[in-house]
Amino acid sequence: MIRTVLALSVLSAAPVQADVSRAVTDHILPGFAQFATHAEALSATAAADCTPAAVQPAYQAAFDAWLGVANLHIGPSETGALSIAYWPDDRAFTPRALTALIADPASRDPATFAEVSIAARGLFALDMLLYDPAFAGYAAGDATCTLVQVVSADLAAQATALDAAWRDAFAAVLTSAGAPGNATYMTGDEALRALYTQLLTGLTFDADMRLARPLGTFDQPRPRMAEAWRSGRPLRNVVLSVKAAQGLAHALTDTDLPLTDAAVARVEVAASRIDDPAFQTVTDPQARLLVDVLHQRVAAVEVAIDTEIGGALGIAAGFNALDGD
Amino acid sequence: MNTVLPAVGAMALTLTLAAPASAQVTPDQIVATYADIAAAKYADSLTTAQTLQAAVAALTADPSQETLVAARTAWLAARVPYQQTEVYRFGNPIVDDWEGRVNAWPLDEGLIDYVDASYGGPTDANQFAALNVIASPQITLAGQVVDASTITPALIADTLNEADGIETNVARGYHAIEFLLWGQDLNGTGPGAGERPFTDYVAGDACTGGNCDRRAAYLTAATTLLVTDLEEMATAWATDGAARTAVTANPDAGLIAMLTGMGSLSYGEQAGERMRLGLMLNDPEEEHDCFSDNTHNSHYYDGLGVQNAYLGRYVRTDGSVIEGASLSDLVAAADPALDAEMTGKLDTTMTALGAIVTAAEGGFAYDMMLEQGNAEGEALVMAGVDGLIDQTRTIERITTTLGLDQIAFEGSDSLDDPTAVFQ
Repeated sequence: MIRTVLALSVLSAAPVQADVSRAVTDHILPGFAQFATHAEALSATAAADCTPAAVQPAYQAAFDAWLGVANLHIGPSETGALSIAYWPDDRAFTPRALTALIADPASRDPATFAEVSIAARGLFALDMLLYDPAFAGYAAGDATCTLVQVVSADLAAQATALDAAWRDAFAAVLTSAGAPGNATYMTGDEALRALYTQLLTGLTFDADMRLARPLGTFDQPRPRMAEAWRSGRPLRNVVLSVKAAQGLAHALTDTDLPLTDAAVARVEVAASRIDDPAFQTVTDPQARLLVDVLHQRVAAVEVAIDTEIGGALGIAAGFNALDGD
Repeated sequence: MNTVLPAVGAMALTLTLAAPASAQVTPDQIVATYADIAAAKYADSLTTAQTLQAAVAALTADPSQETLVAARTAWLAARVPYQQTEVYRFGNPIVDDWEGRVNAWPLDEGLIDYVDASYGGPTDANQFAALNVIASPQITLAGQVVDASTITPALIADTLNEADGIETNVARGYHAIEFLLWGQDLNGTGPGAGERPFTDYVAGDACTGGNCDRRAAYLTAATTLLVTDLEEMATAWATDGAARTAVTANPDAGLIAMLTGMGSLSYGEQAGERMRLGLMLNDPEEEHDCFSDNTHNSHYYDGLGVQNAYLGRYVRTDGSVIEGASLSDLVAAADPALDAEMTGKLDTTMTALGAIVTAAEGGFAYDMMLEQGNAEGEALVMAGVDGLIDQTRTIERITTTLGLDQIAFEGSDSLDDPTAVFQ
């Protein structure tokens, strides 16, 4: 009997059920907890030895963990994500802000560091301090070394606060959607649409920002427009972001997602063919082609999710932060 | 990613709204009002730009403090109707494709003219951030030597603007003109705007900043371009214009364009890019009208444009009123509480943006609000941001209630033929 029901349900393509609670419990909250753990480890590492060689591995691990939740821009992350990962920086605010902080000891007081420009905070400040030749030549005891400690401690504090804000407050806002008194999400569908929008927007960010920017045009590729190219992360960021989207997609629905999984597998194959994880060789037509293929594969994941989740649930994405210019 | 976007089948509205009848407005009436208001706003933008053009001619013919101030005043007046048109972006491809010519921002102004040493030079993203065309009769772009000995509208439009494919190489539009009238604001987050002296336009030995004749030629050419560009858009919304036809030919598509414009401007553009980001960067250059310190007004009139689009009512620069069937009427017929929620949130936003204007007019300029650790400024700016984010949620709710999300959905390529994209 059970078997018959299952068979029938597969054949009749049973309606997909969304599960916002599961997405929160199984995907989002563990993601923030993991990021907080790694950010704290980074801060502890820097406190013990702030030289680049010592801090770089912990920075890489913290950045990896961030990508698990970086696609979320609602609730505490609406503003919180901006001071953890300020990028792109087309007007070069980050090097200018860091230079000013290095020159003025009072300006890098840990007690007030949460008020400094987001261009000098978070992962991209560390990308530059730890990897850019203009900054990374420092030794223990130098002002820059102290700044690395301050930025790392501030990042850990942000990660901890974000973790707590999601766990203790915003998770309930999502999971109680439609309940009396929930003015943010008046129906279950609104919470679902909010998470679905994050999912698709993250993939759009991968395609339009992380990949299309360094690709530039065939005649003019722009390697320096790759994300965190100094720390060699452009390819890794794309792959981890896509995997995070896949994870959220699965947590959000109760059915198999064969198109989505196949599309993500194609992303991984395309990624494995790219030799330079920093995308700095996109100036070479052959190398650029491989990144271009990856770009198309990522766009296909977006379409797969649109079909398997958006189509099945009858929801369209809402407005997102990339809607502006 | 634009979301609620185009691609439309008909239906839904009639289905959704068939029940609560009585003197009900119809989508075609609503988009007609929307197009009429657009025509009036772009016509007002054009006439105020023509006034600016006359003031620029007077300044370059006879540079003085008076003629400079008159030109600045004309620029400020021209911003009032234009900012109210920004709600037509995002939802209308004809406007969106054109907009970069008139209101591109932020800009690396060193491309155009002299800048302070603190500005720095070329950046990761832009090799030409400090090109200074006004001082350079001959320039090299992407390996090509360019004759810039005469500064013409064509040189600005075809060669300089977005030079090297970089968006911050803004050579034309309101903000390029603003820079030429005010100069850099070197007061940081302290009081004061740009202080370009009128002598930057004086011929002969009294010329300051060098190349006064070329600066005047640049200002004249950029203003000419602005007028030409606005003529184009005013025509596009006039009777039988392409932008008008695009929204009136399929009224449901027109409604989607309206809501897409309202939501995208409110959230991604104004709340995110223009207001919150600048606040979090604590950088006075991250304000929309950074040379003139007119940002409070730009934000206010952007917000007012969103409200206009919903209420179907616009007060022209001459004081006359254009109004008609509105989205508000349509939503009220479908769900009165939702209409009350939307009008209430738009009011809340306008009150918050109005408070920023009041503070700025009282001497607490927008760039001062961005100062690191300035709690009062942060509270003022974030109240506007919060209002804009909150109203976006209701705009989404309206899209769903009117069934427009499903219409947008049915037109998406991936759903029409999901297998096509995997081939």
